[in-house]
Amino acid sequence: MRKLLAVVKREYVQRVRSKFFVVATILGPVMLAAFAILPPLMSGIKGGGPTRLAIADQTGKMYERVARELTRDKKSNKSGATEPPTQPPVGNRNPREQVDQAGRLFQRSFLLEEVHLDNRSLDQIRSQLDSRIQQRDLDGYIVLPPNLLKDEQPEFRARNSADLLTQNSVRDAISRAVRGQRLVEAGIKETDVEKASEPVSLKTTGAGGAESNGQASYYFVFAIDLLIYMSVLLYGQLVLGAVIEEKETRIAEILFSSMRSFPLMMGKLVGVSLVALTQLGIWAAAFLIFSLWAAGGSAITLPQVPRMLFLYFALYFLMGFFIYATIYAVVGSMVTTTQEGGQLALPVVLMLVAGFYLTFSIMRNPNSPLAFWASIFPFFAPITMLSRIVTETPPMWQIALSFGIGVVTIVGLVWLASRIYRVGMLMYGKKATIPEVWRWIKQS
Amino acid sequence: MEETKPTLVLEHVSKSFGDFAAVSDLSLQVRPGRVFGLIGPNGAGKTTTIRMIVNITVPDSGRIELFGQQMNTAMQDRIGYLPEERGLYKRMKVGEQLRFFAELKGLRGQESEARIDSWLGKLQLTGWKEKRTKELSKGMQQKVQFITSVIHDPDLVILDEPFSGLDPVNVDLMKETILEQKAAGKTIILSTHQMEIAEKLCDDVCMINKSRKVLDGKLREIRRSFSRNAVALQFAGGDGLLNDPALVANVRPNGDEFEVLLVPGKNPQELLRRLVEAGVPVTKFELVEPSLHDIFIEKAREVA
Repeated sequence: MRKLLAVVKREYVQRVRSKFFVVATILGPVMLAAFAILPPLMSGIKGGGPTRLAIADQTGKMYERVARELTRDKKSNKSGATEPPTQPPVGNRNPREQVDQAGRLFQRSFLLEEVHLDNRSLDQIRSQLDSRIQQRDLDGYIVLPPNLLKDEQPEFRARNSADLLTQNSVRDAISRAVRGQRLVEAGIKETDVEKASEPVSLKTTGAGGAESNGQASYYFVFAIDLLIYMSVLLYGQLVLGAVIEEKETRIAEILFSSMRSFPLMMGKLVGVSLVALTQLGIWAAAFLIFSLWAAGGSAITLPQVPRMLFLYFALYFLMGFFIYATIYAVVGSMVTTTQEGGQLALPVVLMLVAGFYLTFSIMRNPNSPLAFWASIFPFFAPITMLSRIVTETPPMWQIALSFGIGVVTIVGLVWLASRIYRVGMLMYGKKATIPEVWRWIKQS
Repeated sequence: MEETKPTLVLEHVSKSFGDFAAVSDLSLQVRPGRVFGLIGPNGAGKTTTIRMIVNITVPDSGRIELFGQQMNTAMQDRIGYLPEERGLYKRMKVGEQLRFFAELKGLRGQESEARIDSWLGKLQLTGWKEKRTKELSKGMQQKVQFITSVIHDPDLVILDEPFSGLDPVNVDLMKETILEQKAAGKTIILSTHQMEIAEKLCDDVCMINKSRKVLDGKLREIRRSFSRNAVALQFAGGDGLLNDPALVANVRPNGDEFEVLLVPGKNPQELLRRLVEAGVPVTKFELVEPSLHDIFIEKAREVA
């Protein structure tokens, strides 16, 4: 036990003092903030101003309706009225607000004008509008054909035909307008139609019971996932590097002449995990201090993070770290260079990436069987279960089950790994093959 | 001396890796307070034997007994081990490094600190305690490595090629230190393929070649038993004088002298008389005991 502690102490002290640790501790939040803030920021910038659309109404009665529906789209967003959506986001705003803004910009605002037909042919009108699009005087136009109300297709031409969001808005607006017109023509009162088509605005409530914005918590889950994914990967690879160093410099030989392989490997894993927890702790403390300061009268508010989440994060980080770092340690003991280690560890990394990608589907449906199994499977659980906890906290037994399976997996892995580790660490000069490793497991 | 219990006993120890037999049926005894030479060419099985002694690997069959007990993990603290392949944490400071390895052997606190300082002083490394290991020269790193193997004052010190990479001054310093350890009552196992050094330091030797023991015993006795009527000769004159198959079995030029092997049973005085009678000036005439090197080569040939 004392020897294990000696290894833990060495790993911890050496690493926390290193430049890498200091730099990573400072740069980590900066990078994460960049990841979380940049995408909405970028789409915000792309949004620029309102989309200028011209509408050529060949039915002679639909322009008003379509125009109303297109602008309703914007007004249905409650914050849209308070702030002009055309204003690009400014740097020092809180992430949630930026996300809101990104959402508004996705929905677009339109600057509309009616094209007066003046008995011109459709081709003449088109060529005139096309040239305006080319001169960047216009972003697109809509042609409503005479038989729109029956089944004739409206036409939408835009400079950027890949802009699906605008296309969707236009399609929906025209559909609503056509529906409304059909109802009125079928004898229903305009006011009733108006009432009936009043859009529903969703009030989204998050896990903590606090009102939250769907998109904001989407980004929040994404940030949490990214953080745990990066931490597990980074610190796992740190273990890989450390093991390869000990093997290559033959320190392993002295270590094994002083202690057994199990406490040695455990000491290393525990030491590095404490380094990681220290770093994450510093980040969490910085986050809390910042949010306290922000709460005290500053205009900035950070997302409300339930206190329990810090605990869950720490637990699932530890689970992920011990699973992946153990595998990394074994890989390190089997290879001779860091490059070889990287290659051999690739399937491991892919597993972690798979867990990361699974969360996209899980976030959409946190109670599906897929979400359940993915968050029970120990190699995915650290990321997937955490996303579920953030989006929609699953029943306690599921959390306990995933954690229990994780612990069992870790014990099994470490047991297996320390057998491979001892032989691998003393074999120099060539990479171990899988059959060889199998023999080591059976032998020891 | 003969009655004391041996520090280390190996009985019919074998170890193979796949089809390759690294050590076959090796039995030996290391007695306390002596320098025991484990000698043999590269790949003979020395390192594998040592790894089994320090409990890094376990023999496939046979028994290893240390300090009168079956080998176990707790005993590792009483052994100091300098592996052939040196390994230190490059980025750690020398002092920290020694503190860590001492702690792995169960030594901590004040005591550990005092011993580190004393050893650094003894090996002329005092100013380097706070330097990072990678800033040290190879020879200095080797001395640091040596300290890690003796810092916890072990009863058995195992040194695998302790002289490789040292300059002559440090070779002498190392020899001196080893003899000091011996004088302090430590048992020392010295593994080397440098026979000249083994010859000067060892009390007992065990030679292994191709995984098997070929010879073992007290160095003095071994040399005596291998005495082959050889003379180191330096004289002015042609070697025609030595051309008598009735007296001389073999002549081997060695620098500016000859190593003359006499026919078994013949008296070396006979050769000296002939040289004197021939009137050639003899500058060196010395009866030589065979070197460990010669003995080894002879034994190795026998095995082959």
